[in-house]
Amino acid sequence: MSVVTAVTCPVCGCLCDDIELTIHDNKVVKVKNGCAMCEAKFMGYSSEHRLLKPMIRKNGELVKVSITEAVKKAANILAEANYPVLYGWSNTSCEAISVGIELAEEVGGVIDNTSVVCHGPSLLSIQEVGIPSCTLGQVRHRADLIIYWGSNPWSSHPRHIERYTAFSHGRFKKSAWKNYVTKIKALVGRKKVQSAIKRLFVKEKIPSAVALSNFRHTPYLQTGKNSRKLIVVDVRRTKSAEIADYFVQIEPNKDYELLQALRALVRDQELEVDNVAGVPVEYLEEIVDAMVSCDFGALFFGLGLTMSGGKMRNIDAALSLVRDLNMRTKFVIMPMRGHFNVAGANTVFTWQTGYPYAVDFSLGYPRYNPGETSVVDILLRKESDAALIVASDPISNFPRKAAEHLTENPLIAIDPHMNVTAQVADVVIPSAFAGIEAAGTAYRMDHVPIPLKKVVEPPKGVLPDETILQRILAEVKKLKQANVREEA
Amino acid sequence: MIVNLYPLKTFKLPIIAECINPDMLKGKTLDDMRRLELWEGNKRRTLGELFKIEISNPASSSENVTIIVNGDVSRVKRIGAGMKSGEIIIKGNAGMHLGAEMHGGKITVYGNALSWAGSMMKGGAIEIHGDAGDYLGAPYRGSKEGMRGGKIVVSGNVGNEAGAYMHKGVIKIYGNAGQFTGFRMRGGTIYVQGSCGGRAGTCMVDGAVIVVGALESAPPTFTFEGVKNKARIDENEAVEASFYLFVGDLTENGVGKLYVARDRNPHLSNYEKLL
Ligand code: SF4
Repeated sequence: MSVVTAVTCPVCGCLCDDIELTIHDNKVVKVKNGCAMCEAKFMGYSSEHRLLKPMIRKNGELVKVSITEAVKKAANILAEANYPVLYGWSNTSCEAISVGIELAEEVGGVIDNTSVVCHGPSLLSIQEVGIPSCTLGQVRHRADLIIYWGSNPWSSHPRHIERYTAFSHGRFKKSAWKNYVTKIKALVGRKKVQSAIKRLFVKEKIPSAVALSNFRHTPYLQTGKNSRKLIVVDVRRTKSAEIADYFVQIEPNKDYELLQALRALVRDQELEVDNVAGVPVEYLEEIVDAMVSCDFGALFFGLGLTMSGGKMRNIDAALSLVRDLNMRTKFVIMPMRGHFNVAGANTVFTWQTGYPYAVDFSLGYPRYNPGETSVVDILLRKESDAALIVASDPISNFPRKAAEHLTENPLIAIDPHMNVTAQVADVVIPSAFAGIEAAGTAYRMDHVPIPLKKVVEPPKGVLPDETILQRILAEVKKLKQANVREEA
Repeated sequence: MIVNLYPLKTFKLPIIAECINPDMLKGKTLDDMRRLELWEGNKRRTLGELFKIEISNPASSSENVTIIVNGDVSRVKRIGAGMKSGEIIIKGNAGMHLGAEMHGGKITVYGNALSWAGSMMKGGAIEIHGDAGDYLGAPYRGSKEGMRGGKIVVSGNVGNEAGAYMHKGVIKIYGNAGQFTGFRMRGGTIYVQGSCGGRAGTCMVDGAVIVVGALESAPPTFTFEGVKNKARIDENEAVEASFYLFVGDLTENGVGKLYVARDRNPHLSNYEKLL
């Protein structure tokens, strides 16, 4: 039995690097420091759905073949295609992504990562407006106001609040845990009073002033000037909203209006309306006061903002809001990235091609115009004629029409699991889990690179993504050279 | 000279055909035209491989080239991109980036056009008799260079962000428009005869958006300036009707004008009490 410390968790964009694993007999038997998602991954990664042998579809059936045969078949499909798409990349290491991009260039295909269905709109807006950001360490040590907009870190990034924001213990900022406990007590008390009032005056109409108080949480008791404030903006009262000092419940798809209204208020302009997106302007003024009077604010936004009505323009407004706030105080903004290496995929794509996702190599040089060169749109227009999917399951999470088009053409899947995409693929190549069975590098959501450790050996014959892709690339190059010789 | 193009098959792969441009065909023989290069997916092809080409009136001076595309070319991108003179008539649907960065001449589509039609246009005219996709006249991703002149007329509906970042010129939409019409506009006019999705004119600095139909909602960051009886499209054209006039966007210190017809938008009547 051995204990490995400082392991990086390959699950969400927080990329916690303080995990302690106990290994026995090439198996993880105990996980320390991780959240439930982390534990589930390390303890259950090798389930019965694990792929162990490469397979090729022959007469409609997937049959086991050697890795050499599977690689040859995959290379053939890609080299012959006129417009192949290469998709996935957010759940593997940067080293594998780098080879993937070279492969895309070699076969003249379109390479895209999962940002296209999550923070793609954020990237577009960042390119138009710019982004004032920082590392999570800065937030941990200095931020005294945290905003989560359209994000519920309590469930999606369980240790985000504890490690980096409201409940973390920074050098200059104390944890808000104590306040949280006080607040819960106050909340219980308030609920008791409210229900007593209800019982007494049940038939009386609620005066309009109460409508505003519905928006207001009981302000927590300030236990010291170093405590942090937490604001949550969401369409529903999530678990993260429960612990917030201010919760703004917004009408669905009205984020843009609210952000613009906040911008106007930050710029000391008067609004001619009484409420925006279902929130009274009076309450917004209170929030703006909190924003402007903080020393260091941080806004984290999630898919609730990027994927609701307005998409990239919501982010445009959020970035502009932070830009406006920086005229009054210090404020930063950061997207809450989902997959553990989606930030790495964007970074490596940008190094090698100049663009963070949706890169089209069909003309021999990289072109980028999401909407035109993004994989989902290409599939919806039924333009591609082959696909390579690495560490992703688009068949189960793309729109139905797009998934259908994937299955109509030759499909190659490289994945540790027999997921839905692998089940319908023509070539299936099993791979080692990045961060558990294969080492590499990943980027945290704040673009800090963190090493992934190899803690156990992969099953016999199972290779890391990087090696598999290198072998396919070598095979493609051979085929192309042969073609050139033939033509000559 | 009139050049007729007939697609030789139903296109499945995306095609980039900057050579379908009157300036490129000017003074060329049929054989020269057949050899013009374009891209089908990741393969280089020639115009002759994908289209049957017929030339009529070769006798007339090579100055005025008219290209008539007969058939569906919705997979063919960048038709007429950067053109300076001549005319293109498309009898079918047109692909993306139709007439992108065009300086002059005319394009007529008897069908629909996909996104980015007239993107970053500088002059000339585009007439689309069907619908247009998103980003009509708007720049490609990451660019702030909107339309700088010319005129786009769409008989049908258009998608989102028509006229985004527009500086100059006119866009007339006779059907309905999507969201963010005239986003971050700095000048020029957008006229929408049908209904218009929300967020019209947001972040605009100057210029005008005229909505004759129903507008989903007025942006909260505009100020109400009163009721006007006339809205001007360009020097020669104006619409006479009763309009609410909003000015903004406050967040950009803008003085852009958003005219919204009064009779079709009773939900905005509460602004009248501000008068
Ligand atoms: S918060 Fe994310 S990275 Fe951290 S332990 Fe949990 S799942 Fe892993």
